[in-house]
Amino acid sequence: MLSTTEQIAFVLLVLVCGGLAFQGFQRIYLIVSQGEPSYRTDNFPSRLIKALIEVGLQKPLFKSRPIVSLFHSFIFFGFSFYLLVNINDLLEAYIEGWTTIGSSNPMALGFNLFSDLFSVLVLIGIIYFLIRRFIGKPRVFEFNKNVKLQNKVSEGGIRKDSLIVGIFIILHVGSRWLGSAFHLAEREVAEWSMPTASLVAPLFLGWSGLETGIHVTWWLAMGLIVLFIPYFPYSKHIHIFLAPLNLAFANREANGKLMEPADSSKPGASTLDELPWKQVFDSYACIMCTRCHEVCPAHESGSPLSPSALEINKRYFINQNSSDLASGKLKLDLLQEAISSDAVWSCTTCMACVEVCPVGNEPMQDILQIRRKLVFDAKMPDELSDALRSLDEQGNSFGESSRKRTRWTRDLDFPIKDASKEKVEYLWYVGDFASFNQNCIEKTRKVAEVLTAVGVDFGILMKDEKSAGNDARRVGEEGLFDALAEDNIQTLENCDFQHILTTDPHTYNTLRNEYPSKGGVYSVKHYSTLLMELILSGRIKITKPLKLKATYHDPCYLGRYNGIFDAPREVMRQCGVELLEMSRNRTNSFCCGAGGGQVWKKEHEDMKQRPSENRIEEALLTGANYFTVACPKDMSMYSDAVKTSGNENNMAVRDLVDYVAEAMELEKMTNEKTYEAVKESSIVEKDASELQV
Amino acid sequence: MHEKKQIHTEKGLTMANVLVITEHMKGEFQDISFEMLGQARKLAAGGSCSAIVYGSMKDHSSELGAADRVLSLGGSDDFNPEAYFSAALQVIQSESPDLVLVGSTSMGMDLAPVLGVSLDLPVISYCSGIENSGDSFEFKSQLYGGKMEVNSTAPKAVAMVLAGSFSADEGKSGGSASVEEVSADFGAGRVKFKELIEPEAADVDITQSDILVAVGRGIGNKDDIEVVQELAENLKADLACSRPIVDAGWLPKSCQVGKSGLKVNPKVYIALGISGAPEHLEGMKSSSTIIAINTDKNAPIFDVAHYGMTEDLFDICEELENSLS
Amino acid sequence: MKIAVLLKQVPDLAEELEVDDSGKALDTEYIKFRLNEYDEHALEEAVSLKEAGQASEVAAIALDGEEVDKALFTAMAKGADKAIKIIGAEAEGSRAVASLFAEAVGTEYDLIMTGVQSVDDREGMMGPMLSSMLKVPCVSVVTRVEGGDSSITVHKEYFGGLMSAFDVQMPAVLGIQAARQTPRYAPVSKVRQIQESASIEEISLNGVSDTVKSEVTSMAPPTKTGGAKMLGSVDELVELLKEKGVA
Repeated sequence: MLSTTEQIAFVLLVLVCGGLAFQGFQRIYLIVSQGEPSYRTDNFPSRLIKALIEVGLQKPLFKSRPIVSLFHSFIFFGFSFYLLVNINDLLEAYIEGWTTIGSSNPMALGFNLFSDLFSVLVLIGIIYFLIRRFIGKPRVFEFNKNVKLQNKVSEGGIRKDSLIVGIFIILHVGSRWLGSAFHLAEREVAEWSMPTASLVAPLFLGWSGLETGIHVTWWLAMGLIVLFIPYFPYSKHIHIFLAPLNLAFANREANGKLMEPADSSKPGASTLDELPWKQVFDSYACIMCTRCHEVCPAHESGSPLSPSALEINKRYFINQNSSDLASGKLKLDLLQEAISSDAVWSCTTCMACVEVCPVGNEPMQDILQIRRKLVFDAKMPDELSDALRSLDEQGNSFGESSRKRTRWTRDLDFPIKDASKEKVEYLWYVGDFASFNQNCIEKTRKVAEVLTAVGVDFGILMKDEKSAGNDARRVGEEGLFDALAEDNIQTLENCDFQHILTTDPHTYNTLRNEYPSKGGVYSVKHYSTLLMELILSGRIKITKPLKLKATYHDPCYLGRYNGIFDAPREVMRQCGVELLEMSRNRTNSFCCGAGGGQVWKKEHEDMKQRPSENRIEEALLTGANYFTVACPKDMSMYSDAVKTSGNENNMAVRDLVDYVAEAMELEKMTNEKTYEAVKESSIVEKDASELQV
Repeated sequence: MHEKKQIHTEKGLTMANVLVITEHMKGEFQDISFEMLGQARKLAAGGSCSAIVYGSMKDHSSELGAADRVLSLGGSDDFNPEAYFSAALQVIQSESPDLVLVGSTSMGMDLAPVLGVSLDLPVISYCSGIENSGDSFEFKSQLYGGKMEVNSTAPKAVAMVLAGSFSADEGKSGGSASVEEVSADFGAGRVKFKELIEPEAADVDITQSDILVAVGRGIGNKDDIEVVQELAENLKADLACSRPIVDAGWLPKSCQVGKSGLKVNPKVYIALGISGAPEHLEGMKSSSTIIAINTDKNAPIFDVAHYGMTEDLFDICEELENSLS
Repeated sequence: MKIAVLLKQVPDLAEELEVDDSGKALDTEYIKFRLNEYDEHALEEAVSLKEAGQASEVAAIALDGEEVDKALFTAMAKGADKAIKIIGAEAEGSRAVASLFAEAVGTEYDLIMTGVQSVDDREGMMGPMLSSMLKVPCVSVVTRVEGGDSSITVHKEYFGGLMSAFDVQMPAVLGIQAARQTPRYAPVSKVRQIQESASIEEISLNGVSDTVKSEVTSMAPPTKTGGAKMLGSVDELVELLKEKGVA
C-alpha cells in the first residue's frame, strides 16, 4: 500500500530509531548489571511463564484500585492485541494487496472485530486516565511535603511523561482506528466485523482526501511507534516490557526471609550499584502509580517516607545521568538522591508496598539495605542504639535484666516447666514483648492458664531465652541478629521438644523462615493455630459462646508475611464471636506502626495521626465493639491507640486468648486436678536465683 | 600515723581533729559547707573543728559558726583544681587532722581523691552518714546508684559528703571562729582558670517553683513528654527532669534537678518514672511533699517520697487528666 | 596528641543486686557487667577529638575482667587505634585500680581520659587518684575538650548549667562527665570484624602493694526510712493534690 519512497523512508526511520533505542536499552542493561547478586533467575522459563499468566489475567493490578484496574485492563488487552495489529499494518504497507478487510476468512473477521473493539476500549481507557490525572487529581498521587523528590519530579515530570504517553496512545490508536474507517469509506462497504469504524466511515464517503488520509493515518500509527521506541528507556511506559520480567524475578522464597549480605564486612548499600540488581531493575519497572505509598503506614501518617518516591527518584536520576552511570563515572548516592535518612528510619517493614505493587517492585528491600549500611557506619537514631545495646547486653530490648524475663510467671498458681531441662512437646518461645510489656503480661499468663487447663505439655526457656532477633535484623543490625541467632540455636540444641510455640508473629517469622539458614530448623507454630487445633479437636470445650461483635486485625508478620489468616478467624468463630471485617483485611491489613524498630524510636515530628489510631477509626466503621489482636505488639499499640484517640468507651482491645478463656469458662474450671498432674510429672529444679526472680 | 590520738571526753567519745574544706560560688558558701561543718563539730566530740576558706571568703568567716578555727588560704576566688589542691595539701599536712571532710561535688571530686593519695589516707566516697565510734570513724556510703549502702570504718580518712546528708543549720550556729591567715603555695600553675560560663537564661527558674512535675527515664521517649507537659499545665506546675533526659536532649538543662543540675524546694514534687539515684535525690529531697510514681516498687525514690504509687506513669497521667477535667 | 582512655567494667544496674554470703560485697555470680557509662563518654570524646584532627592516636586500656575483651574490641570498632589489657594483677577498689593504671600508662600519653566516676568507686574517683600518682594535673566533671599542642582547654561543669573553662597543660588526666555527643553505637558486625582482624595487646603487671584502705563492715540494700505512703487509686491522688492546693 505504501509507495516505494515511503517504504524506504520507513525502513530508515526504523534503523535510526532502533539505533537510538539500542543505546538506551543497552544502558539499562549496563546499569542493572552493576547491581549486586540477586538470585532471582533460577528456573527462569517457569518463572516467566508464571509471570506472563499473572499479567495476562491482570492479577497484580486488581490487588487495589479495582475501577482503575478495569480501565487499565482495557488498555492492556487492547495494546497486547495491537502487536498483531501492527504486524498486520506492516504487511499491508509492504505487500501489495494485503488486507483483512473484505475477507470472509474467520481469522480475518475475528481480527477485524478485536482490532475495532479494542481500539475503542484503549481510547476509553486512556481518556479515563488522562481525565483522572489532569482533572480528577486524586490525592494519592501527591507526596507528603516532607518527602524527598528529584527536582524534575516536583516540577511535574510524571505529569509530563503521562501526557506524552497519553497523547502517543491516542494518536497511535486513534489514527489507526480512523484509518480503518477511511479504508471502509474508500471501499464504500459496511463491515460488520468493524462495528465502530463502520459507524464513522459514512462521514468520509466520497471525500477526496481519503487516499492521503489512509497514508497519513498509517504513518501516524506506525511512525509514532517507531519514534516512541527510543523514548521508552526514559519513560515509565517501559513497564509494558519490564513489568512481566520484574514479576518473573519475584522472590520465590518465604516473604519473611531476608537475603544475607554478600560481603559481611561491607553490608548494605549507600549507592545504587551496591543494591542487589533486582532493586535497580525495580526503578525501571516502576509505573509511578503510588499504590505503594497509599498503603504505607508511614506515608499515611505524615512521615517523610514514600516508597513510590524512592523508586521514582532513582528512575529520574538514572534518566538524567544514564550515560555516566552506565560507564561507571558517576554513582547514584541513595541518601542524597532517592530517599532521606528520616524516611529510611520511618519504615515499619510491614511489606504492604511489596504486596500491592502491580509490577513486582520491592521498595522495602532498598530500605533494608540502606539501613544495613547506616547501622554499620553507626549512623542511626540514638533510641535505636539504646534498644540494640540492650538486646546485645541483656537479650531483650527493654533494658531489663535477663533474669527478670520470667517475672510474668510469678502470679500463676501452677509451675511452668523449664524447657531447657525437661522434655516438652511445645517449647513456648515467649518473646520480649509478651514477657516484659505491661499491656501484654496479663495475656501471656492467660495463655499459660489455658494451655495448662487442657493439659498441653509445654515449657519455656526461662532466663536463657533471648530475643529471636527479627526486628534487630529489620533495623539493619545483621551482626546482632547473627549473634542472637547463634546463641538461641545453641540454647535450643540442648532442649528436647517437638514444636516451638509462640504468640509473637515477629518471633514466628524469624524462627520459621530465617533460622534454618543459621542452622536451626524447627517446627514453629503460632498460638492461633494451636488454639484452633485444640478447639476443633475438642480438647478445649467451648461451653459459653460469646455473642459479641468484633473485628480482627491481621498482624503484618502473621498474615501478609506468612499467610496465616484463617486460624485466628476460626478461633473467633468457634468462640461465638461475630466477625465484622475491616475493609483493609488479610493481605491488605494496615500496619499498627510498631515494626521495623519503630516501637523503639520516637515518632517523626511530622506525624499527623498514628497508624494505630487510623486503624481504630477504621475498626469503628465496621460497627464492632471489640478489636481483636493476635500479636503482643498489636496489643500494646492498640491499647494505647484506643486511649489516645479517645475511644475507650467505644472499642475494647481483646486478644484471641481472651475469647477462648471466656468461652471455655476457664475461671469456672476446677484446675487443681490439672495442676496437680503437671506438678507431679515435672521435676522442676529451680536455681536459687530464679526463685528470687 | 594512722592511729587517732586517744583523748577521751566525758561522754566516752574520743576527741578528734576534724577539718572541713568549704566550697563557695559567686561569693557565697554552698550549703554543703554548712552541712559538713555541723557534722564535723559533732564528730570532733570536743576536739578541734576547723574550716579551710579560699580567697575573699575569709570575709564571710563569721557564718561558719560551728568551726573553732577558720584557716584562710588566700588565693583566687575562682576554683582551680590544681591550685586549691596544692594550697590545701600544705595546710592539711601541717594540721594533720584525723578526718578531712570534702563535698561530694564537682569541686570535691578534684580535691578529695587527690588529697587522699597525697596524704596517704583512705578516701570514702558518697558518704551519707559519718559517726565517731571511739578509735575510728564509721562511714555509710551510697553505692550502685543508691541500690546498696556500704558501711566502712577507718581511723583516719578523707570523706566525700553527699549534699543534704546533714543539717545546714547546725553548721551555721555556734560561737565565732578565729580566723588565721595561712600562707599557701598554689602550685605549679599547670591549670589556668579562663572564665566562668553562665548557663543560658531559662524561661522558667524551677528553683523558684511551687509545684514541679518531674520526668525520668521511665518516660521512654521524647514524644511522651508531651503527655506529662499537659499534666503540668493542668496542675499549673513547672516541668523538671533527671539527668538522662537532659543528656538525651529531650529537655533543656534548666529543667534538670540533681547534683549537676539544680536544687529545688517546691511545696509539691511529683516524680514520674524517676528511680531516685542519689545524684537526683540531692536536688529535690528537701521538697515539702514528694509524690513518686514508678513501676519498680524497689526504686530508691520511694525512700524519700512521702506518697507513692507503683503504677505506669502514663496510666496515671491519663487518669489524672480525666479526673481533673 | 596521644590519648589513653581508661575503661572499667561495672555491674549492670538493670540487674537486681544482692549481697553475697560475706555480707560485705556484691554477689556477682549471676549479674551482667557492662562498661562504665562515663567511660563510654570518655571514649566517645577521645574518638571525637581524633576525628576533629586534634589527636593522633587513641589507646583503650582496661584491666582484665568480666567481658573486658568485648569492651576493648568494641572500643576499637568505635575508632580506638589500639586496645591494651592489663593481666596478671588483681585490683580491688578504685584506688588499687588507679595504681595499676598508673603503672601501665607511665609517661607515654599526653592526655588520659576516663569516666568522672563509676557506680562502685567507693574508695575515691579513679581519675584524680591516678593523676596524683602520676603527679600530673587533673580536672573532673569535664563536658568539653578542645585540643591543642601542649595544652588543652576544658569545660568543667558545676550545677544547673554553670561551668568554668580551664587551660590545662599536658600531660594531664580528665574525668569526663559527658562527651560532645551521645556515645556512638558499635555495630555488632563491626565488632566481630575487629575481633577477627585486630588483637588486644597485653601488659603483665604484678599487682599492687599494700594500699591505704578503709575496712568494709557491711553492705546491704538501703533500709527503708519510713518510706512512702502508697496510694491505692488515682482518686486518692487527686484528693491529696487538692489537699496540697495543687488540683
